[in-house]
Amino acid sequence: MKNKTILIEPVTRIEGHAKITIDINENQQVEDARIHVTQFRGFEKICEGRPYTEMPALTSRTCGICPVSHAVASSKACDELLAVRPPKAARNIRRMINLAQILQSHALNFYHLSAPDFVYGFDAPKEDRNIFKLMQTHPQMAKDGIALRAFGQKIIERLGGKRIHPEWIVPGGVSHVVTQEQAQTILDELPQAFDIAKRTLQYFKENLPRFKKEIDAFGNFDSLFLSIVGKKGQLEHYDGLLKIIDAQGNVLEENIEPKEYKTYIGEAVEHDSYLKSPYYIPMGYPKGIYRVGALARLNIANGCGTSYADEAFEVFKNINNGKPLLSSFYYHYARIIEMIFAIERIEILLRDPKTFSDNIRSYAKINRLNAVGCSEAPRGTLFHDYSSTQDGVITGMNLIIATGNNNLAMNKSVKQVAQTFVNPLDITDGALNKVEAVIRCYDPCLSCSTHAQGIVSSVIEIRDAHKNVLQTIQRS
Amino acid sequence: MKRLILGFGNTLRGEDAFGVDAVLLLQNNTLKNTTVLSAFQLTPEMALEMLEYSHIIFIDTAFSPSHAYALACSLEKSNRVNLSHHISAFHLIDILNTLYGHFPSFEIFSMLGNNFEAISNVVAYKEALEKTTQFLMHY
Repeated sequence: MKNKTILIEPVTRIEGHAKITIDINENQQVEDARIHVTQFRGFEKICEGRPYTEMPALTSRTCGICPVSHAVASSKACDELLAVRPPKAARNIRRMINLAQILQSHALNFYHLSAPDFVYGFDAPKEDRNIFKLMQTHPQMAKDGIALRAFGQKIIERLGGKRIHPEWIVPGGVSHVVTQEQAQTILDELPQAFDIAKRTLQYFKENLPRFKKEIDAFGNFDSLFLSIVGKKGQLEHYDGLLKIIDAQGNVLEENIEPKEYKTYIGEAVEHDSYLKSPYYIPMGYPKGIYRVGALARLNIANGCGTSYADEAFEVFKNINNGKPLLSSFYYHYARIIEMIFAIERIEILLRDPKTFSDNIRSYAKINRLNAVGCSEAPRGTLFHDYSSTQDGVITGMNLIIATGNNNLAMNKSVKQVAQTFVNPLDITDGALNKVEAVIRCYDPCLSCSTHAQGIVSSVIEIRDAHKNVLQTIQRS
Repeated sequence: MKRLILGFGNTLRGEDAFGVDAVLLLQNNTLKNTTVLSAFQLTPEMALEMLEYSHIIFIDTAFSPSHAYALACSLEKSNRVNLSHHISAFHLIDILNTLYGHFPSFEIFSMLGNNFEAISNVVAYKEALEKTTQFLMHY
């Protein structure tokens, strides 16, 4: 029997476009499986020659789902070029809008993209595994998803002027103050959002035992974890120092200034994907595999710093007796805890009188020619690394996008799931869905990470030992 | 009857901006009982804002390799149910019907286009805009 490869294209219910190949060997076993990101945009090149003042707005155009994350990281890089620290009000407002972004993005992943798998099961008929079926059978859950995402989006709109691609985060701070009226409107809506997030956590915890097989095989392996943490080691998304731990929870690196990232993170290029493969340099490529995002953040942090999220965090940590959770299935759990944290933290920021100061922007000319901005995006740690002339013209740019950080882990996860669930002699739709579902655990934003453009093009491909495509399965 | 006219598209992507450009023109006029809005893309939570309208008109660009700048109304629905962060007008109406029991009448005014990098024929594009907005102002 010839070796063969299964190709999954497009990969569905993710942001952006990809295909998966599954290679079958002569013994009719899954030999390998990989995710290929099939688009290219080249934002680093587009930005060269443009003034630094354009960077927050320009780089946020990378994506329609997490533009705020890019605006935040970009503005922080620009702050560094100017060598200024934004005033407290500006930092609070940036922090708040970043949390609103994380909230709406996590809500989208849970309710619209992943919930059908949780409700109907990963082996359910494919015509049932979508939000429209969910609307019919679980209308309250579907409404919750819409309401929670709307809450996050409205905060972005109220603070930033528009929901997608707000342009009010600027070098040195923000361009508009937050008014007491705006704050009160958000505070009035906050209890409903909080109730929804708590209800979601309850649902997920109750249903977690149903997914033991998926927990065991969905990216369940040793890896490093990377995120920024706050001064006390707590969960942090806007500002902080980098920390890296291993699978046992041992600290490999901590208190790393983001501008030093190149000492620790290398970027390998694979021949079959536009997505680079970052790795931890001291362990080399590909051994230096690490994960970022909600799971990494909660594995690394020693607490959340808000009351209800801390309660949930403690339960989460106890699953593996305080050690890191290694299955990527737990990304879903971690994202729900982060939604609760985001709502609680937004309330704290809205009740801080310093948020309402008129002093929202620091001004300076270019004082540094190289700068790195780093923040936690919904999907993980985001780096914007700029070089500039003395006149503020960008001459070089390197972006390490959250999803890119997870590339090696996503590939390893796809292989693990394919080897566990795909029987080459009887390829079921449920098995192929699991191969896609493990990617959804990471909630990848491929448009961002490759800066992709183009029309959707993704597939599941079955290939023989010579990489000849024997079968192509269209997934959309 | 309250009416919503919602033009959507990416203003950086050539002819995809048609819906937004149409809204920009319509905003210069007073349309009775009508709210005019533009959006980068359609997202599920927009359903909440549509609850107060009994008639919704979407304006967008529909890809067509061979009939650029032709105007069409309510093109046939695609049966795709896959979605990521944005959805179609039909999906939004589905959400309104199924989740909120709200059944507005709706139409989709589309300009057919095949260039999402630039506007190939500015004259034809402007003519399409003019026809669409004039029609809507007297609709």
